[in-house]
Amino acid sequence: MFSIQVQQALAKLVLPFLILIACSIVVLGLARRPLVDRWRLDAADRLAPAYRLAAWPGEAVRGLYGDASGLGHLAVENAHLRDENAKLRRWYDVAVALANENARLKAQLHWIPDNAPSFVTGHVVRDAGGLYGRALLLSVGDGQGVQLGDVALDAGGLIGRVTEVGAHVARILLINDQASRIPVTLTASRGAAILAGDGSPYPRLLYYAQDNHPVEGERVFTSAQALPVGQSGHAPFTSLPGGLPIGTVHYIRPGDPVVVPDGSLVHPDIVRVFHYDQQDETGPSAPGRVPVQPPALAPELSAPSSADVEPGRG
Amino acid sequence: MNHLLRERRGKTQPGIEPEPTVKHRADVAVRDAVPWLFMAICVILLSAPTGLPGGTELMFGVSVGTVYFWSAHRPESMPVWAVFLIGLLADLLSFGPPGTLLLSLLIVHGVAHTWRYGLSRINFIWGWGLMSVLALSLTLFQWMVACIGALRPMSPVPSLFQAALAAGIYPTLSVLFVWTHRTIVNPERA
Repeated sequence: MFSIQVQQALAKLVLPFLILIACSIVVLGLARRPLVDRWRLDAADRLAPAYRLAAWPGEAVRGLYGDASGLGHLAVENAHLRDENAKLRRWYDVAVALANENARLKAQLHWIPDNAPSFVTGHVVRDAGGLYGRALLLSVGDGQGVQLGDVALDAGGLIGRVTEVGAHVARILLINDQASRIPVTLTASRGAAILAGDGSPYPRLLYYAQDNHPVEGERVFTSAQALPVGQSGHAPFTSLPGGLPIGTVHYIRPGDPVVVPDGSLVHPDIVRVFHYDQQDETGPSAPGRVPVQPPALAPELSAPSSADVEPGRG
Repeated sequence: MNHLLRERRGKTQPGIEPEPTVKHRADVAVRDAVPWLFMAICVILLSAPTGLPGGTELMFGVSVGTVYFWSAHRPESMPVWAVFLIGLLADLLSFGPPGTLLLSLLIVHGVAHTWRYGLSRINFIWGWGLMSVLALSLTLFQWMVACIGALRPMSPVPSLFQAALAAGIYPTLSVLFVWTHRTIVNPERA
């Protein structure tokens, strides 16, 4: 159809054209990252069954290796387990006594219990963070009702929150990702802070009160975070239940507190995703009460416009 | 002797030759496709949770090494459309800064394809050096895009590890590819 010269010229233009497309994808990724992440999650959704299949040989080999290495120190393991069992029995008695006392006190106070959260348990399919991010892909099955912003816990404690939901999988942003910010409460100093990930295994504590520094070794829990005024429904990163264990404070250098997470952030296997029903945070309406306008909108406090300023004054 | 050589070289030499059968054509097509099929399979396997340490970093190293070798030594086996499609697949299956892996592969293909005559003349060490410099610059470009995306400077250590892994794995890959080139892809030149 074309002459040889035209064909050669077209063949030379293919690579620059494809490089141009790649550059546009880079720009699109910077400008509309959620859109690209959506496509990636769709692809991962389709490949999730194959991924489970691919992970099986590795899991089998690891299981065999664990069994074989466990055979070597059976006696030591047995002694250790006996000690731990004795300790746990003592703790069991303490726990039963405390639970009874708690139930009695709650009954006296006519305590209204919180809604029990629904949860779904799933296997971690693969790492979904890439070189710079820290995220996981969790296989949650069909129609489990996992929603954006739900919290993910492993056996130890909080490990992250759901940022994208696919048909079979959910992507969980771990608490040590660069983008993760979680409000926390410190148990010993009773202070509040923000837990900020920086890509390292130990997320940092930021924005704590300067006269109330975190104490080395104290426990860190999530701080309940209400929906902002005017937002309804379950928007991502807006609501978080309080009291979920995260880890303990540790100073890696003076003035730089980090949290050593209880949960396993590196290779968690089984993760539970909890969905907490949104509590109604707004108070009951008070009849006859005149609503106060926010100060920024009050006319006497707003900045004077140029028409209000008389010439020659001031 | 010359007559025999001409016959073995097949279609590269003009002359009267029998029409290739369908089986022969399919055989040649599959042999030609081995390098990019290898790359596609590697990309899919390295994105799977196989428990390999450094799987994400390895995907960059293996794909850059494969494109570099075949674009320089046998461009018919690494056409630009295959580089684009596999780069797109790799980008879709990894969770790094979008488009950077695809762009890196296209640039590696462009450089290796343009300098293929020079690369075939120089020592392996120099070719390896050029590939390492390419891998380092492209991985730093990835790091810069990640920093712009996060709006803050990030640690360059993972990028440097990725570049080192790409440079470190290339000699092993090239031994495998030289063997593949001689035995599977183009046995007539062996």
